[in-house]
This record gives sequence, structure tokens and C-alpha cells, in this order.
Amino acid sequence: MNRAVPHWVLAGAVAAYLFLYLPLLVVVVFSFNDSKLNAEWVGFTTAWYAKLFRNGEMLIAARNSLLIALLASLVSTVLGTMAGFALHRYRMRVLPVLVVAPIAIPEILMGVALLMFFVMFNVTLGLVSITLSHIAFCIGYVALVVRARLAGMDESLVEAARDCGATPAAAFRFVTLPLILPGIIAGSLMAFTLSIDDFVITFFTAGASASTLPLQIYSMVKIAVTPEVNAISTLLLILTLVLITVASRIAPGLLRMND
Amino acid sequence: MSGATQSSQARGKWLVAGPPLIYLIIFFAIPTLLMVAASFRLAGEFGGLAPLQSENGGWNLTFRTYGRFFESPIYLELFFKSFLYALATTVLCLAFAYPVAWLIARSAKKYRDLLLLLVILPFWSNFLIRVYAWMIILGPEWALARAINGVLGLFGIAPVTLMFSPVAVIIVLVYVHLPFMVLPLYANLEKHDPALLDAARDLGASAWQRFRYVTWPLSLPGVFAGSALVFIPAFGIFAVPDLVGGTDGIMIGNVIKQQFLEARDWPFGSVLSIVLTASALALTGLAALAARPRRSVT
Amino acid sequence: MTWSTLRVLSIAAACAALLAACGKKEEAAPAKSAAPETKAAAATPTGTLNLYNWNNYIAPETIERFEKQFNAKIVQTYFSDNEELLAKLAAGASGYDIMVPTSNALEVLIRKGDVQPLDQTKLPNLKNMKPEFLNTSFDPGNKFSVPYAYSTTVVGFNDKRMKAAGIDPKGFEVLFDPKIACKVKGHVTVLDSPDEVFSAAFIYLGFDPNTTRNEDYKTAAETIKKAKGCWAAFNSSSYIKELSAGNIWLALGYSVDFWQANQDAASAKQDFKIVSVIPSQGAVLSVDNMVIHKSAPNPALAHAFINFMMEGKNAAELSNLIGSGNANAAAMEFIKPEVKANLSVFPDAETMKKLKQLGLLPAEQRQERGRLWTEIKVR
Repeated sequence: MNRAVPHWVLAGAVAAYLFLYLPLLVVVVFSFNDSKLNAEWVGFTTAWYAKLFRNGEMLIAARNSLLIALLASLVSTVLGTMAGFALHRYRMRVLPVLVVAPIAIPEILMGVALLMFFVMFNVTLGLVSITLSHIAFCIGYVALVVRARLAGMDESLVEAARDCGATPAAAFRFVTLPLILPGIIAGSLMAFTLSIDDFVITFFTAGASASTLPLQIYSMVKIAVTPEVNAISTLLLILTLVLITVASRIAPGLLRMND
Repeated sequence: MSGATQSSQARGKWLVAGPPLIYLIIFFAIPTLLMVAASFRLAGEFGGLAPLQSENGGWNLTFRTYGRFFESPIYLELFFKSFLYALATTVLCLAFAYPVAWLIARSAKKYRDLLLLLVILPFWSNFLIRVYAWMIILGPEWALARAINGVLGLFGIAPVTLMFSPVAVIIVLVYVHLPFMVLPLYANLEKHDPALLDAARDLGASAWQRFRYVTWPLSLPGVFAGSALVFIPAFGIFAVPDLVGGTDGIMIGNVIKQQFLEARDWPFGSVLSIVLTASALALTGLAALAARPRRSVT
Repeated sequence: MTWSTLRVLSIAAACAALLAACGKKEEAAPAKSAAPETKAAAATPTGTLNLYNWNNYIAPETIERFEKQFNAKIVQTYFSDNEELLAKLAAGASGYDIMVPTSNALEVLIRKGDVQPLDQTKLPNLKNMKPEFLNTSFDPGNKFSVPYAYSTTVVGFNDKRMKAAGIDPKGFEVLFDPKIACKVKGHVTVLDSPDEVFSAAFIYLGFDPNTTRNEDYKTAAETIKKAKGCWAAFNSSSYIKELSAGNIWLALGYSVDFWQANQDAASAKQDFKIVSVIPSQGAVLSVDNMVIHKSAPNPALAHAFINFMMEGKNAAELSNLIGSGNANAAAMEFIKPEVKANLSVFPDAETMKKLKQLGLLPAEQRQERGRLWTEIKVR
């Protein structure tokens, strides 16, 4: 540990982690449950994983969800960082509202509005329309986090760089950007989470043949959300963990949020 | 400032603010304005919206839908109730998230990434499945309910069901929104200069005083960002009350959903949405003013 | 450090974009190939069929057989509520070939003109259908739709718990009469649907479930509010599993759901059975129908699909899968005996007469009912 952490902080943090992981434990354990309904533990089986691998629909939906989430979080991180920077640095009148409003507006309204908008402008409904919609509501989350990070940043460092002759762009690239990188990464993690789990907006903006994992799963709600869903959730978690581990091996600096 | 610097400043401003502004105008502002306009239109006979022009050439527009909001006190009641739920969720999230963010921020670099990822990892599994897991955990046959009812039994109080109750709604709301409080808090706490705390300690400040006068004020921007990212969505959510709420556990988000689905009354749904968004934005604005740190701490 | 991060991220983005492009090609190709094929091969329709259906509402074997027989591909997307289907179409969505709405939603689609007329010369298997399900008031002559499957909204319960509480569920009084319902307080759920709950209340009070009189609405709302105190929740999504887990003992729900809850309780080796009964006062019958969207990309294949689903063997597979009611006379011989024995699904002729389908509610009544529903849920 870098600095001694007070006991109450440690205790609180451990409690919070337990709180976070208890349901996840149930999810993983129940993916081996020999029962169609996610209610009682009956017996151990790996049949659901087998069934999942034969379920082409579910796998395609999972692939789509990952793709959309990757793209949407990437674009919204870039745009959100720019927005966060602009909000902090300049006096903007319209941007603050446009950034926070998507977080406040009920998803069902946004979903219907976006569908009407896409239909009006003849945009083909499908993975593209879904991604565009996701970016729209993710930007705000990134912007707010980046702005909060900038608010705590020491401006004198930037001024020093400028005094040394750096252009505003260079000052941004070599001083500001590294300092706010933890905020950017935090924002992009949030955007990824929001996108991969979105249902309402995706429901309306998906076309007749596009499917994402939440769409598949929510449609099972009235029938039975079988442990197949637990299985794919578990697999998705493992997959993302593996991806990140691999990425951190390839680019050891990838996850370093501070030097 | 010279003219050149001013125009390059302006250029810089539009270079940075331009792309997000344009994107949001196209894919957010315009669709939203479509639906804001819908609040003045009439409902279609079979759902959706009535055509702008009626058969006899008149315009199908009205202000009456806004009036309907005040016709019955239940909508205001619902807003207040949702506000309370969202407030409770935000406070509890803050209480849980602060220690986590602090721990991650103060950890050795090699653990920091892992701890942060561990916070967000559960949320890459599906929402519905996680709520179902909570329904299992809160079920009457499981340890939690048994423990609580056991304690209540000692006091002679009748057993309570945790499921389908406001308690279940709050627990799941806190659970669902926790990472959105942790991440902004962490992004802020990480930047705190430990030298400040050292200086405070050297000056004789107790642990509580160090927190109250150094850490907390410095973390306010993070607290505010996290609170906004929890309160605002929680205010308008419908999925959680739908799944684990009891017979009177609905929030304003449920009624809005109802207007677009069962009631097929898009104009009224639009009116409720506008009121929800406006109040959420207003509350956030007020909180921003209140949260502004009163002295500069550098 | 920053640049290696950005480099990796841009590589990731490029890969993602590549995958997306590949994905889109997959989606684009079948659509493109469908058009020329349907024009050329008038004899055997083929290509892609976009089916907008309830989840788990067609047996996988049926799909396989159809795809093999017509050398086609079925792309299924799902909805879980008629209102979702209607809202999406009202906002302008299209691209679907076949949709499977329930009758009252079907009426909306017909009146709005969202569905195209069926070419009955392409549907010779229409003769297999039970006549009582054809020629309805909202689609006389089956111009636009063909029945697919049906379910009834009934009372379902945990037989052991009901016996212990001394309740013999025979009708809606077990849900709406506080004297009875409160015996199992906190263990009762009703569907989270104003359509279903109000209709159940109307039937209980002796009104026509399709009534449009405001006094009837107020009376029903009062009844519901009085009974609400005994109920645990309004739930359409997880009451099945709560029943099979033994947490909920009595519910208003769909016959297919209770059938499934019972199956699951049995496999979980619970010591109770989930039984469902059609209430003595009557019940709502929900018939789901196949329709073709007005701008369906592949109407020829859509017709072939409808005809295929009216073959006895194919129609029976769904009943065997989820215990749904079957409007197809030719299918009856292929349905498993235990499914046929379920009186909630295949009642005798006497009880059949008590089943009523829900019709379209005029906008004003919808609004009024919506307001009452919100009141019921808030107070």
C-alpha cells in the first residue's frame, strides 16, 4: 500500500466489494443449475453451456453487443473528453444542457424519438443505428467524469508548459491529457457498461434483423430467463477479463493510469 | 490579449467543443425536439401521434395535455416519491462508494487497475440476471431473510418479506448504480496530493479533521459528478420497481413507460418526460451551486 | 505511455470496425439475394424470413424443418408485450415479414393498415383450422390474419398451500375477495397489465370484459384497490419462477405460464403442484395470430410460412413445447395427451363459451383506465 488506509475505509471497501460480488456469485453458480427457472437450486449440470453453444442466435447477439459496446464507448470517450474539456475550460451555453439532458431524459422517450428520427431520415435500422444511439447517451457520462477530473487538476502545470513555449495543443497532449487519463478511462468504462446492457433504446432502434444480448434476454422475461442467460453472462465476463489481460500484456502501459 | 490569441482561443474552443456539440445536436437534440413537439400534439387514434393536420385542415395541436398533469395529485405524489427513492439511493451509494474509491486511489499502482476493474466487472453481465440474483438472495428461504426475521422474531415482530417491497427496490437501485459513483469519485480522489494530508497531520489534525477539512472538500467535484450520475438516472428508472417493487412500489418512470405502451398516449408520456427531465436538470443545477467549494484549496 | 495506449485503442477500434463490416455484409447479403430470388422463383419461395415473434414461441424443430423444406433462413427478433410491437410500428419501424400479435393488437394493426391482405390461394391449409377461431369480428373472412396459438388468463395456485389455507380456488373471488385473498396475504400476484386485471375484475363483477362504461371502470378500480392489500405485487415477468420456488402461492396469470411453472416445480422435486383453473365466472382468451407486414420484404415466403404453420404436425409442436392452446383441428392428434388433458387450455365446450377475447378499447376509455391504473398502483 502506498499510504496507510484507515481501518474504517478498509472495512467499508471490503463490505462494498462483497455487496458487489454476492449477486454475481449467484449468477455464476446458477449457470450450472439443473432447472429451467432461475429460482431454486436443483442440481449441477453443464447442459446450459452446451445448449448455449448450439444457440446461434444468442451467440450472434452477444457478438453484436460486444461490437456495439466497443465502438460506442470508443467514440463517446473521444467526444465526451472533448466535451468535458470544453465545459471546464470555456464558457458554454448550450453544451452543458446537451451533455446532461441525455442522462435525464427517460430512455423510452429517447428510444421512440430516435426511431422516429431514423425513419424520417431514412437511416437503415440495424447495428449502425443502435451504435449511433448509444454514443448519444454515453457522451454525457464521460464528459461529467472528465470535467470532475479537470476540476481537481493543477492548472499551474499547464501554465508552466505554456511558459516553456509549448503550443496549446502540445500542452494538452503532454500535460493535460496524461493527468486526466484516469478520468477518461473511468468514463470509457462507464460508457462500455451502459452500452453493453442497454435495452430500451436498443429495442426501438434495432432493425428487423439486428439483435443484441439485452434484446434476447429481455424478450425471455415473460417466458423464462433460463440459466442459458447466466451461462452467457458468465462467459462474457470471462471473455472481457481475458481480453483485458491480453491487452495489458501487449501494451503494458495500457492500464497504467498514472506514471 | 492580442487579436491573434483571441481568435486562436475561439478557434480552439470550437475545435474542441464542435464535434461533440454537432453530434449531440444531430442525434440528441433533434430527436428530442420531435418528442417535445409531440407533447403539443394529439394522440393517434390507435396509439402513436395523430397527424399534424386534421381532415378539416385544422392543426392537431393543444396545450391541454400539460393541464392533465395537474388534474390529479397522483403525478406530483409520484414525482415526490421518486425523488425520495433517488435521494436515498444516492446517499447510500455515496456511503458505499467512498471507501472503495479511497482504497483504490491509495493502493499501490499495481493493484489499482485490478481493483478498479473488479468494481465494474459485475456490471458487464446482464442487468436482468443480476436483479434475478437479488430476487434469489432476498427470497424468504435464504440466509438474509432468515437472519433478519430471526432477529425480528426475538422482539416479537412478525416476519417481513424482503422481496416486492421498498427495501428491495432501494437495495437493487443502490446495487445497480454503485459503479457510477465509484468511478467519478476515484478519478477525483486519485489526484489528491498526499503531502497535504501529511502537512495536516504534522499540524496536529486528527483523522476525522483531516478527512473533514482536506479530503472531503477536495473530493467535492467527484462527489457531485457521481451523485449526478446516480441521482438523475435513478429518478427516472422503471425497470427496478417493475421487477422487485410491491403493489405500490412504482416510480414516475413506470408511469411514463405506461403512457407509451399500455395507455398509447404519447403526448402525455412526452409531457411527463419533459417535467421529469426539467426537474432533474433543475435539481442538478441547484446542487451544483450548493456543492461549489467555498474556499479554494490548493 | 499515452501513445501506446492510443495505439492499442485505435487497433481495437479498427478491428471492431472490421468485424462490424463483416457483420453488415452478412446482414446485407441475404437481403439482397432475397429480392431477385422471390421475383424469379415464383414456384418455390425462398430467401430470408424476418419473423417478429414472442420468445420461445416456435419450436426449434419447426424452424429447422421449414428452413430445410424451403431452403430459407428464418431471422427471429423478439418482443415480450403487444404494446412494444405497436409502439415500434407506430414510430415507423419496418422490415418485418411475419408478426405475431394478439387479437386486440391485431385489430389496431388492421385498422391502421399496417398489415397486407392474405392471398388465400396460397393458404390451402386454412381448412385445418378450427372454425370457431376463424372469421372473427375484427377480421371477417380472415382477410389479414390466421390464428397461431392461444392462451387463457386464469387463476393458478400451489395446491399444497391452498389446501393448508383452506381455500378451494374455483373463481376470481379467490383473488378479489379480501376475506379469501388475505388468508394468503403477501403470497399473491396478479399480472402487471391493466388489460388483464381490469378484465378479470369485470368478469368477477359480472360485467362484459369489453365494457366501455365509466361507472364500470370506477367500480372495478374500487374492487381492485380493496383486494390490493392482500397482494404481493403486480408481476408479469417473474411470477412463474416465484410460483415454482414456492414463494408465491396464488396468481392471476397465463395458462402457458402455469403449465411451465408446474413442469419446473416437478423437475425441482418440489412437494407441491402448480394447478390452474378457468374461473367459474369466465376468463379472457388471448389468441395470437400471424400477419404479414404491409411492406414485408418477402411476402411470398411469408405466405409459405403461414401455410406451413397450419400443417397439423407443425402446429402441434408449439403446444407440446409450451402447453399452448391450439386453434388447429389437424394438430390435435399430434399433441401430447398430458397437454390435451389440461382443462385450462383445452376446456370442454361449455367452458369454451365463457371465454372472451379482448377487443380494441376506444382512446378515451384507454386514457381513463390508464389514469385509474396509475391511481391503483400509487395509493
